[in-house]
Amino acid sequence: MSLSASALAQELKTQALANAQTNGSAGDALAALEAANFPERKTEQWKYTSLQALADGHLNATADGELTQSLPALSDYVVTINNGQLVSHNLPDGVSLSHDGPAINGLQTPFAFYNSAVASQPVVLTVAANTRIEQPIHVQIQSASDAPAHCNPRLVVVLNQGAEAAVIEHYHAEGQALTNAVTALITADNAQLTHYRLQGEQASSLHIGTLIIDQQGVSKVDSYQLMTGNRLRRNDVRALVSKSGAELNMKGIFVVRDKSHVDNQLCVEHSVPNCESDQNFKGLAGESGKAVFNGRIHIHPGASGTNAELSNKNLLLNPGAEINTKPELEIYNDDVKCAHGTTVGQLDAMQQFYLQSRGIPAAEAKRMLSLGFVNELLMTLPHEKVAEWATPWLEAELAHTTPAGDRAA
Amino acid sequence: MSQAELDKLIRSNYEAGFTTTVDAETLPPGLSEDVIRFLSAKKGEPEWMLEWRLDSYHKWLEMSSPDWAHLHHPPIDVNEVSFYSKPKSLDDAPKSLDEVDPELLATYEKLGIPLHEQEMLAGVAVDVVFDSTSVFTTFKEKLWEAGVIFCSISEAIQNHPELIKKYMGSVVPKGDNFYAALNSAVFSDGSFVYIPKGVRCPMELSTYFRINEANTGQFERTLIIADEGSYVSYLEGCTAPQRDENQLHAAVVELVALPGAEIKYSTVQNWYPGDENGKGGIYNFVTKRGVAHDNSKISWTQVETGSAITWKYPSVILRGDNSIGEFYSVALTRHMQQADTGTKMIHLGKNTKSTIISKGISAGRSSNTYRGLVRISPRAENARNFTQCDSLLLGDTCGAHTFPYIESKNPSATIEHEATTSKVSDDQMFLCRQRGIDPEKAVSMIVNGFCKEVFKELPMEFAVEAGKLLEVSLEGAVG
Repeated sequence: MSLSASALAQELKTQALANAQTNGSAGDALAALEAANFPERKTEQWKYTSLQALADGHLNATADGELTQSLPALSDYVVTINNGQLVSHNLPDGVSLSHDGPAINGLQTPFAFYNSAVASQPVVLTVAANTRIEQPIHVQIQSASDAPAHCNPRLVVVLNQGAEAAVIEHYHAEGQALTNAVTALITADNAQLTHYRLQGEQASSLHIGTLIIDQQGVSKVDSYQLMTGNRLRRNDVRALVSKSGAELNMKGIFVVRDKSHVDNQLCVEHSVPNCESDQNFKGLAGESGKAVFNGRIHIHPGASGTNAELSNKNLLLNPGAEINTKPELEIYNDDVKCAHGTTVGQLDAMQQFYLQSRGIPAAEAKRMLSLGFVNELLMTLPHEKVAEWATPWLEAELAHTTPAGDRAA
Repeated sequence: MSQAELDKLIRSNYEAGFTTTVDAETLPPGLSEDVIRFLSAKKGEPEWMLEWRLDSYHKWLEMSSPDWAHLHHPPIDVNEVSFYSKPKSLDDAPKSLDEVDPELLATYEKLGIPLHEQEMLAGVAVDVVFDSTSVFTTFKEKLWEAGVIFCSISEAIQNHPELIKKYMGSVVPKGDNFYAALNSAVFSDGSFVYIPKGVRCPMELSTYFRINEANTGQFERTLIIADEGSYVSYLEGCTAPQRDENQLHAAVVELVALPGAEIKYSTVQNWYPGDENGKGGIYNFVTKRGVAHDNSKISWTQVETGSAITWKYPSVILRGDNSIGEFYSVALTRHMQQADTGTKMIHLGKNTKSTIISKGISAGRSSNTYRGLVRISPRAENARNFTQCDSLLLGDTCGAHTFPYIESKNPSATIEHEATTSKVSDDQMFLCRQRGIDPEKAVSMIVNGFCKEVFKELPMEFAVEAGKLLEVSLEGAVG
């Protein structure tokens, strides 16, 4: 079924509201959804991402399929959420799980509002004050459905004062499931959070996700976001750096291939003085993959002494692939240091020649160089188990982008 | 009921009272088909031109004003704009410089504008005693010898209809955007330049030096065609403040660089920016675009210090192989000024290259935005782009923003973009102060240094003026 963008937007909203009513939601969440506009063709933030795939009617049904594969455990502590419902959890001392947490600040997209209105069982992980959790907490968020359907997982991680923890947010989806996820990370004073967002769902599945990093205290957050493309992937990441002295580092890799799609929308809000943020994202697009990166640094009038940087480097591997990148600065204070840089290029012909002259086949050389391009970020992953899982996963993805015998010339 | 039908109904009410206004030679505010017919008849335009205008008008009726720019202004109501008024007669103009606002003269003085130019800028009726007329004649003769056509667009419509028919609207189509469509319907006048094959234009052309253009309207239309292998450098704008009040200014500039040609287009824009509280000032909504064919080059250089609102994106469509596009810009905003300006480089041909250097300076409570697009089409093999946009903030109440769109669909393309934001550092100030330079001079010097990369692209006289203009604009910007 094909619909015009505005008819589709209308239909999505009607369906979302109907689902919210069935779910019995009320109050602010419902009001926000009622006021929201689903993206149309001319909606600037959705310029490069069409929601046409959702015309299949994902919002009409709830995903309840059986998973045929499962994710390996990257830690002793695993929380499993299947089709939006908590299935099992094993947590260390000092971490509690509940279904009732603080309200999430800074949500913006209609899909996030929809999640707020219908997610009946949010998973809230709270790390007690002054507690250090040695091993990461592996949160597996999985969904499956043969027919178009959706689920709304919602995860909130709260680090109390002086807490230190690592959380792996790991997505897996099969079939035609749409995962409409909202994740919030809330940190208090002196908290230290290492966060991973691993997104390797099947190519036929869809993902629309919002990640909120809410640094309410003087805290340090390191976030590593690794993703491959699928039929539709949209990530809205918004960081609220709201206490002087807070520090935020975000690093990411996205790989799109074979008609897959990734749209990353990042926004770092600096509203108080003397905070630091650094974002470093690398993208690879091959075959007819399409990648979108929009990285925004917003310095509010009072945020003097801010030091904010953003870098986005991209490789375009084949004709037919596409990269759209837009690093944005919005600055209302003169006493700041802000810079962004972005490049789109290709693999260095000299480097490729060097490898080939040593008897390495063209495809292999290309794969090696592509891996080298993202390796800089992979090598900084602080948890060995994550790196051990992520490296071969990305390597396999990169191998896909270079079909055997391709472009010997 | 559609907007067009509505308009028709409304218009029909006015038809009766219309003829009386014609004698007054000033149309009541508002836009309708009749206004366009009147305008066109007044200029004695051929039928095809009227058709063209009317077609644009109908396109415009279907459009709504763009709201994507980082600008805040009350909705612009074109029905408050009068689209034709009798040019100021010589009787109304000041008789001599004594009658001109002394503050205006002081500014001219600082800019180092020669006396007779000052008179022209201030709208003083230029007496034949001044040899300026003979100067113009010499220019015209010299251009004539080279075969260069340089006249007003109205003259070109009369004398060179084949060129106008072929090229007008070929770069900026009638329905390109809201303001371009409006301009296409009601453009008052503007410049037309044609450089024949292989000719290097013997002098720099400038709007200012064409005497009949001294009073161009709010809707200028400029068309420059550089035929194969030719070269032209065109200067636009005057470097003195206009006395105009808050008004809409929607110009369209089209450049056509045929194979091997080179066009260099420089602008120094200093319309009235409004006062400290944002009262008054020009709303400047301009569409500028060039098409570069094989092996040709188009270079835009702009220094923007005026206008309450600037909405301007001089662009290059790199259609031909090996074509080159350049954009050098300095945009300064102060008081309550808002600028949303940048460029578009659309790479279509093979081995196309583009360079973008943009320097934004914001002071006061102003907002200064760079918005650019670099698009590499799938066929643009080996395309290359380099973009650098730097912002300088003077004070903590202004804003500086960067929105560069980068779209690449060809793996052999190389695109680089970098942007930085900084302020005048205490170290720089200390160094200057220590050497006895007063703070205002020091800031102006540092700002000049910040803009140097762009100024060096300007023709020499322009560069000097631009530097001085910045100095004048920065006055009082430093506490």
